[in-house]
Amino acid sequence: MTRFLVRRLLNMIPLIIGITLISFLAMSLVPGDYLSNLKMNPKISPEVIHQLQAQFGLDQPLLVRYVKWLWGVLHLDFGYSLQYRVSVTSLIAARALNTVILAAASMAFAWMLAIPIGIIVAVRQNSIWDRVLSFLAFFGMSIPNFFLAFLMVYFAMWMGKDWLPPGGTFSVDYNSLDFANRVADRINHLILPVFVLGVAGMAGLMRLMRSQILEIKNSDFVRTARAKGLSERVVIYKHVLRNALNPFVTMAGYSLGDLLGGAALVEAVMNLQGLGLLLLNAVRALDIYLVMGSVLIGTVLLLVGNLLADMALVAVDPRVDFSSMASQ
Amino acid sequence: MAKRPVLIAVCALALTAGCQVRRAANDHARQQILYTAISSDPQTFNPILVTDAYSGEILGDVFESLIRINPVTTLPEPGLAEKWEIAPDQKSIIFHLRRGLRWFDGQPLTARDVLFTLDVIYDPKVPNSIRPGLLIDGKPLKAEAPDDYTVVMRLPKPFAPLLYAIGIPVIPAHILEPVWKAGQFNHSWGINTPPSRIIGDGPFRLTRYVQNQFVRMERNPDYWMSDEHGVRLPRLHGKVVQIIPDANATYLRYQYGQIDIYSPRAEEVLDIRQKIKTGRLRAKLQEIGIDTGERFFCFNRNPRHYVKNGVTDPKLTWFTDLNFLRAIAHSIDKKGIINLVYHGLAVPAVSDVSPANKLFYNPNLKDYDYDPRLAAEILEGAGYHMADGRRVDPSGHPIEFNLTTATGSPEADQICAIFKQDLGNLGIKVNYQPLEFTTLVEKVESTFDWDCVMMGLTGTIEPNDGSNFYRSSGNLHLWNPNQKTPATPWEAEIDRLMDQGAFEMDPSKRAPYYWKIQQILHDQLAIIQTVRRKDYVSWTDSLENYRPKVWGVYKPEWMQFKVD
Repeated sequence: MTRFLVRRLLNMIPLIIGITLISFLAMSLVPGDYLSNLKMNPKISPEVIHQLQAQFGLDQPLLVRYVKWLWGVLHLDFGYSLQYRVSVTSLIAARALNTVILAAASMAFAWMLAIPIGIIVAVRQNSIWDRVLSFLAFFGMSIPNFFLAFLMVYFAMWMGKDWLPPGGTFSVDYNSLDFANRVADRINHLILPVFVLGVAGMAGLMRLMRSQILEIKNSDFVRTARAKGLSERVVIYKHVLRNALNPFVTMAGYSLGDLLGGAALVEAVMNLQGLGLLLLNAVRALDIYLVMGSVLIGTVLLLVGNLLADMALVAVDPRVDFSSMASQ
Repeated sequence: MAKRPVLIAVCALALTAGCQVRRAANDHARQQILYTAISSDPQTFNPILVTDAYSGEILGDVFESLIRINPVTTLPEPGLAEKWEIAPDQKSIIFHLRRGLRWFDGQPLTARDVLFTLDVIYDPKVPNSIRPGLLIDGKPLKAEAPDDYTVVMRLPKPFAPLLYAIGIPVIPAHILEPVWKAGQFNHSWGINTPPSRIIGDGPFRLTRYVQNQFVRMERNPDYWMSDEHGVRLPRLHGKVVQIIPDANATYLRYQYGQIDIYSPRAEEVLDIRQKIKTGRLRAKLQEIGIDTGERFFCFNRNPRHYVKNGVTDPKLTWFTDLNFLRAIAHSIDKKGIINLVYHGLAVPAVSDVSPANKLFYNPNLKDYDYDPRLAAEILEGAGYHMADGRRVDPSGHPIEFNLTTATGSPEADQICAIFKQDLGNLGIKVNYQPLEFTTLVEKVESTFDWDCVMMGLTGTIEPNDGSNFYRSSGNLHLWNPNQKTPATPWEAEIDRLMDQGAFEMDPSKRAPYYWKIQQILHDQLAIIQTVRRKDYVSWTDSLENYRPKVWGVYKPEWMQFKVD
């Protein structure tokens, strides 16, 4: 296991360098830079633009800037955001906690509902439940996130003032509340966004669960189990479900990388404090160091998530072990 | 059996839905707290370093300037300076500061702070957008303080726009001077500075800022202004500026009562009007005037782009041919644009200055009427004939050019589509491709690789603020920027008029110079106008003394909620 870990961790280094270098180049190939945003402002003279260029180091050659950035990262200095003129770390840190809370809550919501429903519809294949729930799943998959978010904001308004807040991460008077009410306030603000983000994730998961179970339900070892006289309940939960879970373990690892940019449009509609919109705006404004900081964190989360998923797979599936993985 | 987890999940949901915060209702009127919204985070809390509109909007309440502009009369009126005198030779201005002015931390605000602010603005190491407006022929003005309450500014020569440019936010020397001397000014008062450490002198002070969420402000009890009964202003106890990136969501929040003031887009104006009429929205809706900005088409006339290796691209000939340009101007269907794109809530734009600018708007220009037949006749008369269904120039080149604008505005997109179709009827082929803003700016500003662009610039009261646009040497002189010497006699004339207008101190004698500039741009069709929006504002019924104008809010300190 140690060998496996060391090997995987070492593999990450060239991957991270490669991904960041390509992102850096791609950002620089776009015509213009962050200062292009200011050039059309009649009050900002070309002389000021030149000064800012020098201050931000945008007048230096590409590779020099990349190496400087990388050198900074090694010292845990992710550079300055050009738009906000504060460190990238502080911008990301201000949003990280709320992003994680939202992502974790909507993931929990999606999984808690999707897996049992997936089992029900698979066990009762072609029943009325299967039809109805599958229809809803397709509906959930095809409705765009931001549109559902609008519907929910509208729903909140329709419900009336004191029910659900139509947006925001917490109330404006959050600071003046006591602890219990702060928690209540947070949860209150989470309900609608969790529902919106959860529905989209849930639909896909449920379909996957259904097809996994259907596939395994008809395999030989299940027939053997039934032939042994095991009860249907034991067959489904002990034999079928256990085997159906493998792809979900891998998926859980991947979704760690989604934490970062998954919800930009929903964030915009429901004005949630999150990293998605920050990153999207940074890309549009060519705020290169902010983009690079986000890309770096996203890459690390994805790689670590994969690693964790692989290790979890070894734990749940006796057919997989570290030696076979390390040799891949 | 398998239903149990579902049951648990449903219970959990029901539980969270019942999770209500127990507190008094969030009543804006009772608390006298005004809720508004902006679409993006502020980028700095340092009023000198501001380059974005959102920081400016917030800091406008926190920092006061020597004089301010009255949004009704568009004339300067007292701010920190209770009065000012212009010397007979018009080369010095004496400002008399109010007595007893205080910063948020209780320190007195004196002439020293004003001098310090000017020092910072003129410091070449501090990039700021205020300096260009305070340079007179490229030279700074000299300021001195004979005593704590007097500032004398000496100008190298008379400079009328100074009264509009001197409305700079004054910053506290006792806090920022050490920072500036240590070379840290450019990193001071960023958005992660604790709001209580932003020391200003305006009607409100910052109390809390949560990125992506809101800015909170509370009333400054020491603010200098008081009403006619001697009661200190402002009347509002506080403000909350929510940051809501999506315009549709903002509109929903306004209808929900979470925001008290909203500037509706054209289609929303009709919706709000309907809802007020049927009693579903208790609000007011008012047209505040014609927008200060407009949208126009501009053709590239830059020889640096069109003349290569001694060969001139025929496009340059078309784009500098007045007949060609006049035909284009006559084929822009402004009425169609107003009705289709702005639901009737716009007016044709004729001059590059908005009619809202009462001091400088030239009302005598005659618009180019929409007349496709006349347009075709002008083209025929100038030798642009039809051949195989396409319009060709006198030397036989088919007329075809690229049109671009910035992505992200449905209105711009529709106007361009209408333009493309109208020119198509004349046999002119327009290739329309919108570009990301930064890419567009690079093309217009640096590579000059464009044919025709549709864009908008926002207007200011003082025409001299548009120097970069009017002067042939300016970088925003879109059709041919950064010229060493004016390429045409009319551009030379505009340069001359800009000088004369700036050095004439008598306001009534200044207007004719700027009228002439508007006339020249109109005749030469350097920019071809489309339309200007009518601006509307809607606000909740209980808000009183709110008087919005296109140039800002009149007497904002008097705003308050009616409590019944």
